Amino acid sequence: MAYFQRTSASTHHQRRSASSVSSGVSIGVAAIAILAAVSSIVVASFPVRPPTGVQMWTFARLHKQLYDPLIANWPAQSRPQITLMSMPALERRMLQGFLAESPTADLIEAERRVAARAFVGPLESVGFVDLTDRLKSEGLLDTINAPSFGPWSSRGRIFGLPHDVHPVMLGYRADIVEAAGIDVTTIETWDDFVRVFAPLMKDVNTDGTRKRYLLNLWADKDDLLELLLLQAGGGFFGEDDRVCIATPINARVISTIVSWCHGPGRIAADAPDFTASGNQLKSDGYVLAAFMPDWMCNIWKNEIPSLAGKVKLMPLHAWERGGRRTSVWGGTMLGISRASTNQDELWKIAKQLYISPELARSLYSTADIVTPIRTFWSDPVFDQPDPYFANQSKGRDYLNLAPDVPARTSSPYNTLAKLRVQTAALSLAAYAESSRRYRPEELEERAMVLLKEAESQVQTQINRNVFLKQTQPEPLNSEGLGS
Amino acid sequence: MRAPLVGMRSAPWILLSPFIGVFVVFFAYPIVQSAILSLQQTFGPAHTTFVGTANYQNAIADPLFRKAVRNTLLYTAGGVFIQLPLALLLAMLLNRPGLRGRGFLRAVFFAPVLVGVVFVGMIFGVMFEKRTGLINQSLHSIMGWDLDFPWLQNFVIPSLIIASLWQYVGINMVYFLSALQNVRQELLEAATIDGAGSWDRFLHIVVPQIRSVATFVILLSIVGSFQVFELPYVLLNGTAGPDNRGLTVVMYLYQMGFDQGDLGYASAIGWLLAVILIGFALIQRRLASDSSRRARA
Repeated sequence: MAYFQRTSASTHHQRRSASSVSSGVSIGVAAIAILAAVSSIVVASFPVRPPTGVQMWTFARLHKQLYDPLIANWPAQSRPQITLMSMPALERRMLQGFLAESPTADLIEAERRVAARAFVGPLESVGFVDLTDRLKSEGLLDTINAPSFGPWSSRGRIFGLPHDVHPVMLGYRADIVEAAGIDVTTIETWDDFVRVFAPLMKDVNTDGTRKRYLLNLWADKDDLLELLLLQAGGGFFGEDDRVCIATPINARVISTIVSWCHGPGRIAADAPDFTASGNQLKSDGYVLAAFMPDWMCNIWKNEIPSLAGKVKLMPLHAWERGGRRTSVWGGTMLGISRASTNQDELWKIAKQLYISPELARSLYSTADIVTPIRTFWSDPVFDQPDPYFANQSKGRDYLNLAPDVPARTSSPYNTLAKLRVQTAALSLAAYAESSRRYRPEELEERAMVLLKEAESQVQTQINRNVFLKQTQPEPLNSEGLGS
Repeated sequence: MRAPLVGMRSAPWILLSPFIGVFVVFFAYPIVQSAILSLQQTFGPAHTTFVGTANYQNAIADPLFRKAVRNTLLYTAGGVFIQLPLALLLAMLLNRPGLRGRGFLRAVFFAPVLVGVVFVGMIFGVMFEKRTGLINQSLHSIMGWDLDFPWLQNFVIPSLIIASLWQYVGINMVYFLSALQNVRQELLEAATIDGAGSWDRFLHIVVPQIRSVATFVILLSIVGSFQVFELPYVLLNGTAGPDNRGLTVVMYLYQMGFDQGDLGYASAIGWLLAVILIGFALIQRRLASDSSRRARA
């Protein structure tokens, strides 16, 4: 019976299929075909209009909000049309434009890591216009804070106009620190900081854990590792972008960081930036001090309003007496696409936008970012007291540190080097825990071994790049630039 | 009588041509192109250099690639040895005769499958936070667990396994449940009459009858685990985690191809991944045919 039913159903199905075929196509197929045809005609009837005028891409909503009113009154032919897109989208489209010659914007704002992607290949294939000669002939090399050119320079040539300086200070809980009678102006070195602030860690919870730590830092924070290494005079790359990871300075710094995060002398805890949980921990006073580049001030104002009036800024503490009191974190540039035909006009627009006192003022008053244009540093906007930072004139404090910001590399392998050094720091932390050795001088020897491994791994990756090998760097002058 | 429009010999080719066209454009050409690319170093289409098997040699010697393979193997092992037994256990519980609310429980266990991987990554990212995360907070209140327990710093692969367990145990449970519902009841009843205990019935009657489905689920789980990318990518905020503890093979491929722009190296990694998966498929096929031969004997 079941067999009969199946046979019957099958025959019925065959008959139905046969009738569909004999009458042409089924209704469903016809509907899909009609829809496809109609939609194709509709799409084809809209002509593709190539964008007219100067096109500019940015990844930061805040930047676009700052630029739009500034350019509103510019003549139409020189007014860039600014398109906001996410950083990954900008990175992809920029690289597609540079590598595959697909349409790209005339002016591109790129963050440090993204811009470095353009420097992987031969010098003549860098997608940005070489601005070195223009900057030199117009005297802008002296007008703009010198270290700000670092991330946009490759093999002695400059490919971008710097947007910022991003000096770093240490934000601290002034309400707690001042209540304890601590005068931060007496602190010069990191050793002083640990000694003077140590009494603030004495409070413990019922389970014996500490209620607060001195510093928001952990050995897995690669940005902070780089920041502290640069401050100490170390880093990942030396002159001519040669890998330079296994150095005594780097070994000493990562050993000290590990000793801050582990063992009986622990002073650091992890309150991650840009997270609700990290913000809550900062608000609770779980960490008393945090590394704050100028742009971070705006993040705190927006994300941790509860700390208004309770936070102040002080210079970073030096690694030795008389040492550097600041570092650098982040950075953006404006570059001109090499594929653009009207490069002279674009250069004028770029200067008009970036080297403008109005932008410098609004950049600080809206985003707390200090300008790299030295001639604008006397503007009174930077002396205004900031209520969030207990009426401190933080703009002036950041600018006082700006000339001392360490120079940085533009190597496309910087991200890789950062990850390798992070791995070394984490391995050193594991070594400290297993060997119960926590003092920096006990860790330095092991740190050097781990840094040598990291250096070798980065060098191996660089050696694989046949294109970099084809371009010899130009001999550099005292400004770090080629002839 | 009209002559046919097309000859009998060319008709199959005409009918097959849409498939062949799609296959050549979207499958055959990219595969061949990626094989060629894996032997090159590129900087955009304008700069291409033939490097022979250097990309493969570098990948095999690359400690990060090895780490990615090791992490992926650990994650896969977690999927096969923790997730699948748990899925089978749940399926057996739901297959018990007379169980009330079976449909409801099945829906509850299956529901996480409907949640997008990105959401799972975001939710577990918050739950695994130190100090403030739900997991550390709950364990702390129950058993005095360390609030600073670094799930996403030191225990990335276990965190990934836990998150994927929550998401995928339901779908595997459904596969097993359908297999269990096809187990012949008369054999189970006969074994019970013959005095076989529940373990013996499971081992000698249930397992042989669900073997084909189990084999399929294991292979699916291995292939899926080796391709894991979205979950760690979201859970670790687009990074591979501290010390690359969450780096998987596909994530490394993505980093090399799209973050570093080294498409040749990324293609070589892709081909090595394909070789690993083919190896697993062959082993699994061999084991499956051996066991079915033994069952027939």
